[in-house]
Amino acid sequence: MHPAPVDRLIAELGKLPGIGRRTAQRLAFHILRSSDEDAFALATAIREVKERIGLCETCFNLAEGPTCAICSDPRRSRELICVVEEPQDVIPIERTGEYRGLYHVLGGALSPIDGIDPDDLRIDELVRRVEAGEIEEVVIATNPTTTGEATAHHIGERLRDRVTLTRLASGLPVGADLEHADEVTLGRALTGRRSV
Amino acid sequence: MPGSFKTEGVVLRSIRYGEADRILHLYTAERGRVNAIAKGSRRPRSRFGGRLEPFFRLDLMLHEGRSELCTVTGAATVDGYPALRADGDAIDAAARGCDAVLRLLDSAEPNRAAYGLLCRYLALLDRGAGADGADAAGADRHAVGLAFRLKLLLASGFAPELGSCARCGEREGIVSFSGAAGGVVCGSCEASGFPVSAEAHRFMAAAIGGPIAELPPVSEPARRQVDRAIGDTLAHHAHVNLRAVA
Ligand SMILES: [Zn+2]
Ligand SMILES: [Zn+2]
Repeated sequence: MHPAPVDRLIAELGKLPGIGRRTAQRLAFHILRSSDEDAFALATAIREVKERIGLCETCFNLAEGPTCAICSDPRRSRELICVVEEPQDVIPIERTGEYRGLYHVLGGALSPIDGIDPDDLRIDELVRRVEAGEIEEVVIATNPTTTGEATAHHIGERLRDRVTLTRLASGLPVGADLEHADEVTLGRALTGRRSV
Repeated sequence: MPGSFKTEGVVLRSIRYGEADRILHLYTAERGRVNAIAKGSRRPRSRFGGRLEPFFRLDLMLHEGRSELCTVTGAATVDGYPALRADGDAIDAAARGCDAVLRLLDSAEPNRAAYGLLCRYLALLDRGAGADGADAAGADRHAVGLAFRLKLLLASGFAPELGSCARCGEREGIVSFSGAAGGVVCGSCEASGFPVSAEAHRFMAAAIGGPIAELPPVSEPARRQVDRAIGDTLAHHAHVNLRAVA
């Protein structure tokens, strides 16, 4: 229907998550109408992330070069590792400003139903980091979902008695209504209550 | 026909979708397998809270539109199985059980026996959760997982023949199990099967015939034979490959 390069662009955009054929077509025409400058900036940005960004050899966070900015920061505490599922989970923890240690990105969560077993995650690499000696505490910050909990339990088994293990507290989100809280969350919030 | 309906259901699987939604694979009492979208359910202020996570047993209100996906419009907890969620091995067993349901029961036909069985299995895992000591508790959980699968075979119409040789009908001298024959086989018909002990045979019969909470004790080698018998039955008759119990 369209000239071949336009069809190719629509096909490529259509591969993005959440983008259907109609949206892909709309985006393609938007790019066609936009200035050369804007369109080339987009193309360059895509090329750059693919060429320059890889995974940190130590913690598997996103990195420009072999080591990520956090692992190479001398001010970070080396005795503390926070374990997360995906690189995007590092950002919210950094934004709290409460955490000064290092990270370990697993690359997902255990899910037998999806065929994701311990070997598919970077758990052996975590165990090796702990065995190397410097680490005193591992904070497990996998999601409070069923797969995240399964992953936390598995890591707990692997690292028990080798290091201090902690898990992010789970409870009610700030701004939520008690009325809508599920019973499991509310039960945990009660167990983990604090004095005021 | 578009409209809303109520049903009880268990969340088998929950997939993150878009910015804040989830797609749920449900096994329901009234409609069998149902897929549904829960819009906005990943927002912290969602009225669904955390109750759309796998293994929650819920009273659901679902809206059926023109798309293949229903929309979740209401969900109240029947049981959240909190103890199960605090035990890694129990989570694993529950996930593998839900996987078996997903693979074996894919129709929108209600199957009350299968639904009841799934709820009983989750309740048993919840009750047995937290019991430390891999040995006795682990063996028990493995046996219960096998019994659950055998009963699921029965509920989905794939139960193996256990009373007599599946080839010739002989009641005595059962020595093997054959997925191709559809059950246990005698010494003269054993060609296509693998050996099963009297213990494994007794366990399968008890698991299919009796309550899941009253299983006879069963040794590790016998459990492995039962696992293989379940796998072979499914591979031959339902054309599905189940993930092992453990
Ligand atoms: Zn790093
Ligand atoms: Zn025979």
